[in-house]
Parts: sequence; structure tokens; C-alpha cells
Amino acid sequence: MDLVDLIEEKRFIGQEFLTWLWWKSEERGGVIALAAEGDIVVVFEKHMLLEYGEGESSEKLTCRGLQTELQEARTGLVMGKKLEQARIQLTHNDYEWNFTLAGSLMEFRNVKLPKTEGDTGPTNNPEEREGMVLERIFLFEQLERMVLELFRLFLQVRVGEGWREELLKVREWVNKAERV
Amino acid sequence: MGFINGTASFVRFSVEGDLPENIWDFIADRVVAFSFRDIDETYEEDSLGWVSVLNMFDTEFNYASYAAGNYVTLSMRHDERKVSSAIVKKYVQKEEERIKKEKQIPKISRTMRVEIKERIQNELMRKSLPMPAVYDLCWNLENSSLLFFSTNKKAQALLEDHFKESFGLTLMQQIPFLCGQHLLDEEDAEKLARITPDIFL
Repeated sequence: MDLVDLIEEKRFIGQEFLTWLWWKSEERGGVIALAAEGDIVVVFEKHMLLEYGEGESSEKLTCRGLQTELQEARTGLVMGKKLEQARIQLTHNDYEWNFTLAGSLMEFRNVKLPKTEGDTGPTNNPEEREGMVLERIFLFEQLERMVLELFRLFLQVRVGEGWREELLKVREWVNKAERV
Repeated sequence: MGFINGTASFVRFSVEGDLPENIWDFIADRVVAFSFRDIDETYEEDSLGWVSVLNMFDTEFNYASYAAGNYVTLSMRHDERKVSSAIVKKYVQKEEERIKKEKQIPKISRTMRVEIKERIQNELMRKSLPMPAVYDLCWNLENSSLLFFSTNKKAQALLEDHFKESFGLTLMQQIPFLCGQHLLDEEDAEKLARITPDIFL
């Protein structure tokens, strides 16, 4: 199968991951334990994009607002729409990343890296420059590692025997939106 | 942009294929060989090549400035001459009017019209200034992965071609399914290939 067909056929995997992560972020106050990194805090914030249908007939729904106002997005899920993009805040130790994750292609958009002590601005010294570049790379890759670790958590449940049980919990959470 | 400062958008690729033993010599050679060539003083339509992530006019990479630890950091620069279709249309019409008057003919033939359009397009193209676009990348040599700092599909296609041409290696975009294949063990990866969408309500 070529990549274009593969992207189309498997886009649901990334979208399901985002929906699961949203549920997971509300399950224990956003705290998720990662094997390699320890505890991280995941918060879904402000901005979401939901999709319904495919190709030319697809509809899109954008929801903005504070965390508590994302009711509309939850209602979107009840209507059968799929979460395609979400603005996420991820905290690990004292570092905080803000980024938009686009589900079907796993694109990281508008990534804001944590502020670090080494943030001294532009420099002409080649060694300092290399240090600055390496620090940025480290922070980008740290974000990548944490998101991949979350994705691995999801996939292991998704292909495992516990998925039915987990899905029931997610459904219950989705359907709560209708009752609120 | 965004790799060096400010907010950034990126997509992940895996780098497929083997590098020769003398990796850094090979990279030094290829980066310079496939670096950006300026077209400001020529009439070429476009130009694509590597430049330094810190300076889009640096194509010499003194002291292997693209190397940072085990990473290769580069920018792909693409300069392109473009003329908007509205401008082409305007000048083609103007030229047609001029010819009709000069030759005292009521209508321009189809062949002549094609010839005029081609000539005008070329003339306008030569007059237009090349528009630059710069896209950063960061290649992790240790785990053969690459972050490309643009979500623009056209730029991604250009990158895949230029990277292949430069280093003989294939870039594979890590969409969730392919990424999952790398993250899971063999048994789970097979299960992943078989799953179908579930309903969340």
C-alpha cells in the first residue's frame, strides 16, 4: 500500500489516540505515569478541531474556550465527530510545553518550548551557539519522547485484551457530556 | 522556521538506508555538493539546496557548522520566480492589442496566441525577483530520525527528493500507524495492522 492510501486508511489511529488522551487527561487530574519519564501532567486547553465524515463531504468543528467550556467539543464527540487537533499543555518536572497535536498525521504545530536558564538570546560564539542548538534539540526530542510514550501506552491498551473495558470507560465519559 | 527560535511546527520522519563508515566525511561532501546556488543574477526559474540554519546566505559551512553533537542541522532553501496569472493575463492582452493594431488584423490566430503567451510569460518570469523560502531540519544520526520544521506538504515533498538526491537515503513520514509499528513488539504490531475504527459513544 502506498503512503497516501495508508494515511487515509489509518488516520483513525491518531484520532482515537487524541480522544483517548483527552479522556486520560481528565481521569486522574491529568497526571499520567510514564515508564521512562516518570509522572507527567497533560492538560487539554483552549482549542480543538473535530472532524466528521470523509473527503469532500467532511465537516469540521472548531471549539475555543477555557477547559471548562470545551463542552461543545464533548457534545461533538457524542454526535460522532472525531478529534483531529487539540492544543495540549504538557508538564514534566518544572518544564512546560505547549503544542497543538494534529492526530491523523501526528504533526506537532506551534510548539512552545519551556523556558530554560540558558535562554540568553543570539550569540556569535560558535560553542555557545552549538550549546543553544543542542538545548533546543533536547527540548524538542523530550516532547517527542513523551508523546511517543503516551502513544505507546494507548496502543498497548488498544491492541490488548483490556481495550473493551477501557472503551466502556471512555464511552461513559463521552456520554456524560450529553447529560451535563 | 522555528527550530532556532520562537514557536515551531514539525513533522517526524525516519531515515531509511545505510550511511557509509566515514559518516562525517560523507555528509561534509554531500552537504556542500548539494548546497544552495543563488539565482539572483541569472534567469533560472528556481533553485533548491542546503544552507546554514543560522544564516541563509551561508553555503560554505565552515568548521562543519551543520554538526551539533550527533545531529546534522540544515536548512533547505528554495528560491522561486513566480508571476501571478492576473499579471500574465494583463500583459498577454496588452501585447495582443498591440499586434492587432500594428498588423491591422481583426483577430489573433490560435498559434500566435500560444506563442505570445509563452513569450510574455518568459519575459515576466525573468523580470520577477526570486522569492525565498527556508525550512529547517534536524537529523538525529544515532536513531536515524529527522524532524522537519514545516507542515507544508509541498515543502515536505521537496525535502524527500532533495534528501534522497543528496545522501541516497529515503525519508519516511512517521504517520501514527508507521510510528506504532516501531513502538510495539512484533506480535502487537501485527495486531495493530488488523484493528478497525471503534465507536467512542
